[in-house]
Amino acid sequence: MTQPLLEVQDLHTVFSTKEGTVKAVDGVSFELHSGETLGIVGESGCGKSVTAMSIMRLQRPGRIVGGKVMFKGQDLTRISEYEMREIRGREIAMIFQDPMTSLNPVYRVGWQVSEPTRLHNGWDARKALSSAVNMLGRVGIPSASARARDYPHQFSGGMRQRAMIAMGLTTTPQVLIADEPTTALDVTIQAQILDLLRDVNREFGTATILITHNLGVVAGMCQRLIVMYAGKVVEAGPTADVFANPKHPYTWSLLRSIPRLDAERHEPLKPIEGLPPNLVDLPSGCAFHPRCVFRVERCARDVPALIQVGGTQRAACWVTQAGTELKGV
Amino acid sequence: MIGPSRVAELDMPAAGIETGTARPAQSYWNESWERLRANRIGIAAGILILIFAVIAVMAPLFSLILTHYQPQTINLDQTFMKPGSTHLLGSDELGRDTLTRLIWGARVSLGVAFLTVAMSLTLGTTVGMVAGYYGGWIDDVLMRLVDTVLAIPAIFLFILMSILFRPNAFTLAAIVASVGWGSVARLVRGEVLSVKQRDFILATRSIGARDTRLMLRHLLPNVLPVLIVAASLGVGQIILIEAALDFLGLGIQPPTPSWGNMLTNAQSYFFRSGFLVALPGIAIFVTVLASNMFGNAIRDAFDPRLKS
Repeated sequence: MTQPLLEVQDLHTVFSTKEGTVKAVDGVSFELHSGETLGIVGESGCGKSVTAMSIMRLQRPGRIVGGKVMFKGQDLTRISEYEMREIRGREIAMIFQDPMTSLNPVYRVGWQVSEPTRLHNGWDARKALSSAVNMLGRVGIPSASARARDYPHQFSGGMRQRAMIAMGLTTTPQVLIADEPTTALDVTIQAQILDLLRDVNREFGTATILITHNLGVVAGMCQRLIVMYAGKVVEAGPTADVFANPKHPYTWSLLRSIPRLDAERHEPLKPIEGLPPNLVDLPSGCAFHPRCVFRVERCARDVPALIQVGGTQRAACWVTQAGTELKGV
Repeated sequence: MIGPSRVAELDMPAAGIETGTARPAQSYWNESWERLRANRIGIAAGILILIFAVIAVMAPLFSLILTHYQPQTINLDQTFMKPGSTHLLGSDELGRDTLTRLIWGARVSLGVAFLTVAMSLTLGTTVGMVAGYYGGWIDDVLMRLVDTVLAIPAIFLFILMSILFRPNAFTLAAIVASVGWGSVARLVRGEVLSVKQRDFILATRSIGARDTRLMLRHLLPNVLPVLIVAASLGVGQIILIEAALDFLGLGIQPPTPSWGNMLTNAQSYFFRSGFLVALPGIAIFVTVLASNMFGNAIRDAFDPRLKS
């Protein structure tokens, strides 16, 4: 493999709360290669978004207490705030979950979409606006030059998300982090936005980190994925392999819980029993063991490391590391 | 072009919107202005304030062409005159023209009021924004400071300050603003705390904007409506405070006329000429009433939810 574009190494991000220290990101490592789309999957509160925020150093009030984020030969956790601002929006762009609130209601859309180039490329308002209008057209906003004069509330949710994507692309960044970009949208609009992200990835060669809790989205979009649970990566590998043959019981349970069209009528859904753990007071050993149907005695005692299991995947699970196949219970 | 065909076949809302491009962009400001315009009493009050402000600004012109007197011209032959052709609104115990003095008094009252509002808004907004935006210990320190300022009995502070500093319009405004900024800071901080939660702040930070840009370009326009409401409601209140200070002899010093010290002066001659008491009183009353009504209209226009 070539040198990765972005490499997260053993990242730790904590939040201090009244109840204690929350290890929101607890030793996460992964690589992102040029041009690829990487999925980060997991339940709410498993640390997906905090991982993304930590890459951008926007994790406030959380603190990065360990690890590295290597990007173009420099560690983003160590560079100055000034240098980090130069990276944000120019090299790494981000789009957010809720397009309804991610645009400032008091400014026209064109003004906001052109803000990154005014900030980073030093373009004057006219040049920045014309490039923003061009980009709005490319992300599928009809009559872009007229719509650029609209205020955000005149845009639909899907159009606002398109505008956010356009805003991210105006500086032609190398990495685009999409934090649940379709969660707040209708299903049909979701499909359009995902198509758009795929086209962006292909045409601009922008490497994309797609954060989602929707496995279907990952299946359609990502070459590789990592699965997170309680702040840790529990499984990583090529999407096709992980889907065909999950090596961590959490992934296995997630895949099994997806309702199937070809299932028997009246067949009950198969949820994962129990609730995600309290991050202040994690279970001993593997954090997933209280909910795991495959658990063995060792799981409550020792924390498994993320190591190679099978040909292409890595998993943090004592059961599969011992060679056991995950089969229906 | 990214996926134009896909847009055509799938994006039906977008296709429908094309026809709507001729519709004017209805911004928040436009809508507020429409609502304000619909409020006739509010507009009338606003126009009245505007007229008073114009009169105040052009006081020298008015005393030259309308009343033909200067505010401090003494004429002992024409004391305590009733309103009439020589003195349109009568004269006082030294024969000074009442209308001229009222016009020049408007200068003081409105000038001090606007100056005070400008000062307390500037300081209050800065403190409130910094406290709300940075949070943590900065917030704690600044807000305790605000609590302290608001706990000081204002009238005693005014009295003390008026003794220490020779009151003119500028120092008087500074004295009143030194207390007034506290409530503005609280208001702005609360608003910033709520706006800060919205994703566009995070999104703007994610494009590499610095803190000052976030505060001035993104937060400030979003708290501006509450500031405008606070300013317009504050004017009436400050006119009253200023008049009270003048009346107590702690504000603008005679012979410079102000509505407050005209009242003080008039209390000695209450039975000789009721006009001397009534006219400055009416001036204060009408101005305060108009600015409160205009303030209410502004509030209703900018934030219909606040309407009780």
